[in-house]
Amino acid sequence: MKNALIATVLVLVCSLFVQPLSASPEDNVRLYQDYFKKRFPNIDFQEFANGVYAVNAQLRENWEAIEEFPPYEPFVERGESMWNTAFANGKSYADCFQNGPGSKHLYPQWSKEQGKVITLALAINQCREANGEKPLKYKKGPINDILAYMAYESRGQLTNVVIPADDPRALEAYKQGKEFYFTRRGQLNFSCSHCHFSSSGMNLRSDVLSPAVGQTTGWPVYRSKWGTVGTLHRRYTGCNKQVRAKPFPAQGEEYRNLEYFHTHMSNGVVLNGPSSRK
Amino acid sequence: MRTPFNHSIYVLLAAMFAASVFVVQPVVLADENAVEQGKKVAFDRRAGNCLSCHLMEDGEAPGNLGPPLVAMKARFPDRQKLRDMIWDITTSRPEAMMPPFGRHKVISEQDIDNIVEYLYTL
Amino acid sequence: MGVLLKYILISIVTTGMLLSTGLFADVSAAEDAEFATLLSEAKAAQKKANSVGGEWRDVGKFLKQAEQAAADGDFEKATKLAQKAKTQCELGYEQAVSQKGKAGHPSYLQ
Repeated sequence: MKNALIATVLVLVCSLFVQPLSASPEDNVRLYQDYFKKRFPNIDFQEFANGVYAVNAQLRENWEAIEEFPPYEPFVERGESMWNTAFANGKSYADCFQNGPGSKHLYPQWSKEQGKVITLALAINQCREANGEKPLKYKKGPINDILAYMAYESRGQLTNVVIPADDPRALEAYKQGKEFYFTRRGQLNFSCSHCHFSSSGMNLRSDVLSPAVGQTTGWPVYRSKWGTVGTLHRRYTGCNKQVRAKPFPAQGEEYRNLEYFHTHMSNGVVLNGPSSRK
Repeated sequence: MRTPFNHSIYVLLAAMFAASVFVVQPVVLADENAVEQGKKVAFDRRAGNCLSCHLMEDGEAPGNLGPPLVAMKARFPDRQKLRDMIWDITTSRPEAMMPPFGRHKVISEQDIDNIVEYLYTL
Repeated sequence: MGVLLKYILISIVTTGMLLSTGLFADVSAAEDAEFATLLSEAKAAQKKANSVGGEWRDVGKFLKQAEQAAADGDFEKATKLAQKAKTQCELGYEQAVSQKGKAGHPSYLQ
């Protein structure tokens, strides 16, 4: 009897410690999304796809005016002609993306064969290289055209990142991304969560910090600061520089794993790329 | 008629006057200077940039991530505690966002002293 | 008498000049070696910080500027910059290593 009591207490005490460590990605998503739902109780969940414009009425007004004549439209048009133009070997993007251009909701995905996270940008370049074309640069330039077109064609799909249970390396990649997200970095000693969880919606001088959930849905993004459309990994580079850390290579393992974790956080939020931001 | 003795008194007096100008005055100025320098560093985007997160008197477009910096002397009667928070807030609050300005050498020790002087005027 | 004095003076000045250039050359060679040591220490620290993903943004820039300053003979500036780079790398390494395997949910998410 006494032993059973001790055992029960031990199990209870252990579960206290074990539970947070073994939290599944699904548990995490619930935790993160609940956090933002509580933080912004008056916002419709799908509105998180609009970033700061969901949480700041004044900025939203300016943004809606910009969206009347979307600055990313020419990029979408160029991307469409890239999609429709055959490679030198006669094949085209359609041969790589069986679901057609509206495939963004399938990425980032875990590839068992390659043992790594495949982002849409990486898949585009793998397609090009498999067909004898030069890979595109990952931050600026024409990759944004094809990404913008594919994002446009994927509008309305829901974010649905899968961490397959049959390959422990996938969960490991997710965990790496999660650790990256919560690690303090750079001379200023910020983690991603410092700005985009506990400070989201608040002002950094006159800039408003966006909530983490919904940050991945609108890429590629026309950013007024850039004066052009850029990739998510270009933005990661900028974030790291802002905290005075040396950025990691675009589409390198660190940022791909980060994108895996970061996008998974928005599971269920509608895809609305390309989009425009300040 | 002047004696050498008299002469040396004038020299001494002159020296004392000079000393009072060069030694005493700067000591008085130092405090004001520290406050002024502290404010400069606190407002400068490339230095302390306190304004990006804290409201401070007439600072333009302040952020609101951190608490407004008002009534500092009353809220932080222990000067060293205030200085320690700027030097490295994570020792007292491990999860806080504020950069460890001293530990990570974002600004100099002198800058931190000056900022403390300035904050005490708020 | 006047001529002799002149010769003596000239020879003193010349010797002095020769000695001092030699001395300066020595000083500069010493500065050079000292800086080279510091620079290689800073680069080693950079490699170490980078190996754990802990390098800071401006380290590479500081090292480049330090090398440029040394090439221009401004060893004071060069040393200051290289030292700054080295210190930042040590701090960045410490920052990364102290969190490895530990960084996770803040208390408000637990």
